[in-house]
Amino acid sequence: MSWITEHVRKPKDASYARIVLDRYRLGMKAGGAIRGVRIIAGADSCPACRAVAQTVYMPDDAPLIPIKECTHPEGCRCAYTPVMTYQDQ
Amino acid sequence: MIEVLRKIPLYILNRRFGWPKMLPMNITLSPSPRCNSRCLTCNIWMKREDEFTLEEWDKVFQSLGRTPFWFTVSGGEPFMNKFIVELCQSLYTHCRPGIINIPTNSLLAHRIPHQVEAICQNCPESQVIINLSLDGVGEKHDRIRGIPGNFAKFEQNFRSLRELDCPNLTIGIHSVISRFNVDDMPELYAYAFSVKPDSYITEIAEQRVELDTVDVGITPPLDRYAWAIDQLIERVERRSFQGISRVTEAFRIEYYKLVKRIMAEQTQVIPCYAGWASAQIYANGDVWACCIRADNIRNLRDVNYDFKRVWFSSEADRIRKSIRNKECHCPLANASYTNMLMHPATVARVGTKVALAAWQGRREVIELEPAAARPER
Repeated sequence: MSWITEHVRKPKDASYARIVLDRYRLGMKAGGAIRGVRIIAGADSCPACRAVAQTVYMPDDAPLIPIKECTHPEGCRCAYTPVMTYQDQ
Repeated sequence: MIEVLRKIPLYILNRRFGWPKMLPMNITLSPSPRCNSRCLTCNIWMKREDEFTLEEWDKVFQSLGRTPFWFTVSGGEPFMNKFIVELCQSLYTHCRPGIINIPTNSLLAHRIPHQVEAICQNCPESQVIINLSLDGVGEKHDRIRGIPGNFAKFEQNFRSLRELDCPNLTIGIHSVISRFNVDDMPELYAYAFSVKPDSYITEIAEQRVELDTVDVGITPPLDRYAWAIDQLIERVERRSFQGISRVTEAFRIEYYKLVKRIMAEQTQVIPCYAGWASAQIYANGDVWACCIRADNIRNLRDVNYDFKRVWFSSEADRIRKSIRNKECHCPLANASYTNMLMHPATVARVGTKVALAAWQGRREVIELEPAAARPER
């Protein structure tokens, strides 16, 4: 995992999920190259976070961060990232 | 410029020992993330923020005073901003920078030249650099930027800007080298040099928190990037430059070589001065050391728009410590040029190269002159 991928896994404030998923909804509606959203988890993430990190979601269906079932002692540090049309389907 | 050179040792001391306390000399402003491009390499246009008003920016510029030498007014697309002319006027009034640098996608080609002319006239003692984005020739540009007809707008904008009679205007072309165009770069260089911009610069597409491009895979493979950039270096080295262009082109070549090393070694090859000599102020007033990490130091609204209270805070020190410890590395052009200026070995290499080029140029002129025409010595 690159330093920047790790860097975005900082603790998030309560509005993070709403703001980012709204952004991606707008991006898909406005004809950008975004086709969905993915969750970035780390090697040290709990099983619940790692389980949701494999899937490409529509913004309306994406699990909300912080992940409710997260059992990591430091709390959920997952992050969203857009999935682009040019990335592997 | 001499004032800037005089401050370099102070920034080096500041980074090493925390003293003397210095405001940044290079500041990027992002008044709005809104953009009418749909680039494959950037997702900033999807963002919406509680943006600063012109009055709020004015208070920030007042608090900055005359330390910053270089301002970049970034975006989003800066010319979508209805108060871009007034914003530049305000920063000129309070900060009187040597350089105001504004990138543009050229999509508002019908109004950009008028606004640029107004900015040049309102800021007569600043060099105004307008960098036109160009990522491909013809439809290749349109495909990467996500807007049909964008290349035609680029050409229209470039021509219109060229017709302006503004002595303090520099018109540059800026290309982002990504996985989408890396193989087409020779064609792009040929085109870009053929239209004779005042400057031509490239930057590698990279992961940035600001642009929401983390983990989306836009960076070209290192071997392809090296192939593309080596051709640019060769092209630049073949040309002969005069005056200050000799210095800027020598720094550009150093930058391109530095990018290759950073990408290969995955570390800060030279010390990064983001957080000391360079900074960014985002649309909502958040202050960042740089746009790659986009760590919010503090929001200017929380400190009555006093930049010093943010810059000299313990939060800023915490981020500086992380940068000093090399917890990050990147080839960001804006920060890298500042970093090179703060790196004595790089400055010495550039100085030697420029001096040699000047000496060789003088010798060639003398050898070409007929003997009778030479002045007696």
